[in-house]
Amino acid sequence: MTEQEIITTVNTALAEEFELDLDEMTPDVSLYEDLGLDSLDTVDMVIVLEGAFNFKIREEADVKEIRTLGDIHAFVAKKLAAES
Amino acid sequence: MPEAPRRIALITGGSKGIGAAIATTLAQSGFDIWLNYRSDHQAAEQVRALVEQAGATCLLLPFDVADFAACEEALKPHLENDVPFAVINNAGFAKDTLLALMSQKEWNDVISVHLGGFFNVTRQVIPLMLRKRCGRVVNIVSTSGQTGVGGQTNYSAAKAGMIGATRSLAMEVAKRKILVNAVAPGFIETEMTDELPLERILPMIPLGRIGTAQEVADMVDFLCSDKAQYITGQVFSVNGGACMP
Repeated sequence: MTEQEIITTVNTALAEEFELDLDEMTPDVSLYEDLGLDSLDTVDMVIVLEGAFNFKIREEADVKEIRTLGDIHAFVAKKLAAES
Repeated sequence: MPEAPRRIALITGGSKGIGAAIATTLAQSGFDIWLNYRSDHQAAEQVRALVEQAGATCLLLPFDVADFAACEEALKPHLENDVPFAVINNAGFAKDTLLALMSQKEWNDVISVHLGGFFNVTRQVIPLMLRKRCGRVVNIVSTSGQTGVGGQTNYSAAKAGMIGATRSLAMEVAKRKILVNAVAPGFIETEMTDELPLERILPMIPLGRIGTAQEVADMVDFLCSDKAQYITGQVFSVNGGACMP
């Protein structure tokens, strides 16, 4: 999966889940301050990403470090690279 | 109008005693039942028959709640298709002895079934409940978790721990309309109280009798009903007045 495919898949999945506008979803956007997600939304985010990429990340400590959309893209890329 | 899908209740330790009464009572209230138990298949089959008599389905799920991997393995395939509306953490047992004589195993086993079991089972379901934006968790605790009972430091610690977990989890998930409460039975007529000397127990109970599993199940049934929508983070004693915390 290319970097661009990862970004598109992540953004599409999150836009659908949290009713976000794809145009506003730039990598530097903060999930909490800009998009208004809360800590419970993070649980939903994890489940949505697990479904979109068919991996399991629920117990990974790095998930808790995610702050921006770019962090998610990087996290997913790293996870997919580690799995392949 | 199409019928609303039936709600599911997952009950741990459901093959006998209070757990069995909860399963049959919730079935009568319209829940389909996921019945966990550890090993007594025969008793579980009897509960299944009662649940089915009430017009509900009953999925038997034998696994040890103290074993996280076993919980995950048993529940995961079913959670892919359905999410229980209610989780009743009831599995438990006592190993009473004075702390001065207690083995490490007696301490650890009691903690891992009650407190570990609460985590191991609830952890599987809660992320999915959060997505559903509704749900109930009812933890069966005990008078022992509310007040001191000599000979039960392990059991008291486990049950008091569950009460703490009840309150904190209630805070965490309230925003998603998931209600978390505890029910604290006192002396209830089950296998666990079979051996206790009634003549010494009765004077400690203002209502003058020990309770029935059905009386505990009725409180759980209420907490899982639409009548309990404004109640979370609470402990409800069903104990004949034996303890008034």
